[in-house]
Amino acid sequence: MTERHTAEHVNKILVYIIFTVISFFVLYPLVYVVSAAFSPGNGIASVNIIPFSGGVTLIHFKELFFGSEYGKWFLNTLIIATSTSVATVVIASLGAYVFSRFRFMFKKSMLMSLLILQIFPSFVGMVAVYVILLRINGLDTLWGLVLVYIAGNIPYNTWLVKNYMDTVSKNLDEAARIDGAGHFRIYTTIIMPVARPIITFLGITSFTAPWMDYIFPKMVLRSVEKQTLALGLFSFVTDKKNEFTAFAAGSLLVAIPFIAFFIITQKTMITSFGGAAVKE
Amino acid sequence: MASALQADGSAGKKIKITASLFMGMAHILYLKEYVKGIFFMLTEVVFLIVSPSIAVKIINLITLGSPQTELPIRQRGNSIFMLIDGILILAVCAVFAVVYALSVKSAEASYAEYCRKKSFGTQRDSFNAAVGKAFPVFALTPSFIMILVFVLVPLLFSVCVAFTNYSSPSHIPPNNTVDWVGLDNFRALMGGEAAWSIGFARVATWTLTWAFCATLTCYFGGLLVAVLLKESKIRIAPFFRIIFILPYAVPSVVSMLVWRNLLNGTFGTVNRTLMALGFTGTPIPWLGNPVLAQMSCIMINLWAGFGYFMLLAMGTMTAVSQDLFEAARIDGASRTQVLRFITLPMVLYQTMPLIIMSFTYNINNFGAIFFLTGGNPTVVDSTTTSAGGTDILITWIYKLTITLMKYNYASVVAVMIFIVLAPFAVFNFRRTKAYKEGEL
Repeated sequence: MTERHTAEHVNKILVYIIFTVISFFVLYPLVYVVSAAFSPGNGIASVNIIPFSGGVTLIHFKELFFGSEYGKWFLNTLIIATSTSVATVVIASLGAYVFSRFRFMFKKSMLMSLLILQIFPSFVGMVAVYVILLRINGLDTLWGLVLVYIAGNIPYNTWLVKNYMDTVSKNLDEAARIDGAGHFRIYTTIIMPVARPIITFLGITSFTAPWMDYIFPKMVLRSVEKQTLALGLFSFVTDKKNEFTAFAAGSLLVAIPFIAFFIITQKTMITSFGGAAVKE
Repeated sequence: MASALQADGSAGKKIKITASLFMGMAHILYLKEYVKGIFFMLTEVVFLIVSPSIAVKIINLITLGSPQTELPIRQRGNSIFMLIDGILILAVCAVFAVVYALSVKSAEASYAEYCRKKSFGTQRDSFNAAVGKAFPVFALTPSFIMILVFVLVPLLFSVCVAFTNYSSPSHIPPNNTVDWVGLDNFRALMGGEAAWSIGFARVATWTLTWAFCATLTCYFGGLLVAVLLKESKIRIAPFFRIIFILPYAVPSVVSMLVWRNLLNGTFGTVNRTLMALGFTGTPIPWLGNPVLAQMSCIMINLWAGFGYFMLLAMGTMTAVSQDLFEAARIDGASRTQVLRFITLPMVLYQTMPLIIMSFTYNINNFGAIFFLTGGNPTVVDSTTTSAGGTDILITWIYKLTITLMKYNYASVVAVMIFIVLAPFAVFNFRRTKAYKEGEL
């Protein structure tokens, strides 16, 4: 064996060691979540330091569905996420189409304000949003929360979709216009299909965000039966209550679909991330 | 009268004056664009009809109501409602002014068209043109209203509150009124009140340190792993890659709350494990000691965030043209040389803007701090300011609003964040392709 080969061999072993160490740290908390979800007892103190050695039980899952409002929380969150996602896609893509294909006054300043508005997390104006919802009777309703989410999503996403549509050639819609198609027809039959990748991306991101948002649900939704998953899960591990195992079981059920989705789409994400960075 | 309209451009002034006198007047009197003209006129009529109540709202915005101690609490005017209504009304007035300006422009444009063609278009033409222009208006209306009501007005409200004394305990409507106080809040936070100034300076410094460290650790961590995954050519690289994106895939509320429990000083698994293995005799206060808690925040954020940058770096590396590598290899470059002189510079160049975006994201990274430490542990000024050792500005705003109800100070902090972050947004805007190519 030549010296170069030995060096490569050593390198490989080094890489394996590094990766194993990183994997250990990455997996460490995740293993404990899984183990806690199945272990008897309530608090973090009752979780054995050797994972799964304290016995295995399904009692926490049973408690979630029969002893708490978990099912209701899940349904609420699903309703909120779906309506937010659909409305965001429709409103943002319509806006983006106009910004991409029409020329009009104040266009530049409007685009600039979209970008400036999106640097703030929407809860900076929390008090005002609260008062506005109070005045339109939107407090403690799911639609009130959905309105807040949609409004928060529009600035950045309109901008994002507009940038994508700019890269799509205008020949197709000009041809359609000559054939007498109206603006709305062009939007539904030509622009939307072409912009499908970015629309899918937008649909997914606006669907996933509400699952784990905390501040706005906390502010808008008061009654127990209107809570969302994040609020409910957080309530298991507040300072007053310490039901880490129930929290772990509930989190596991939410996290698994997320993780499965990421693993399935990781290849696509790598290319789209790369594409996004290069295109900019 | 219309037949007397000169087509040589000499009536331009007349058109402009009539159009400015009353919206749509020029359209109807001279330009024969009745549909448009009536629409504009109706807009102005509606505006004039509601103008008395607009005036009341604006006066309320200026005075914010006067104390009405003689009335029962339920009937007292609410300064905060006055503030929000006033801002909303001002926004509506601004929209009206813009529509007014557009109507004048439109009249001038029609006149210019008339001068060019020497004749009027048919009613049908004018109607069709109006319908064509209606589409963008209707398509943008939902976005416009939503942004106006739920984004712009709340932000303006925040800015305004920074100049009022809206705070607990003595200025909370409807019991009491709120008044304009000028720059008092800014003075109080910047040297006026000792505890608040110290707290503000401390939190601001930590926010910048945090954003800087969090971004750099994640970026270089992710880059390192990506390079190792790609260059080491080990067989089970895809397997490791799946493990490494797991933290990015787990919702951050979940992972941060889990870490919070694992790092718990007394019951946490980490300390119990370390003690069982004999590494330490006493529990380590991971989240209990200010400095250690700050380090923990950065480390846990690295755990949660390196996967994103790993994906990003891998994506960029695959997107780098293969020709470059071929050329380098033909020229006899070694693998390390290719890495050092081609791959890394390319990746750095491509992802640099994303580092900046990530920095701004981390300044506002509420979840990473709030769910991991809740801003704790407490430090000297915490009893007054409620800001703990790991609170960043954005979590402090949350506490000032929810716990202390010091809305005025919360707004000052928000304004400061805006001043720091707005240039980044403008930078991002100028960097876009459309802007550079002057297509806007």
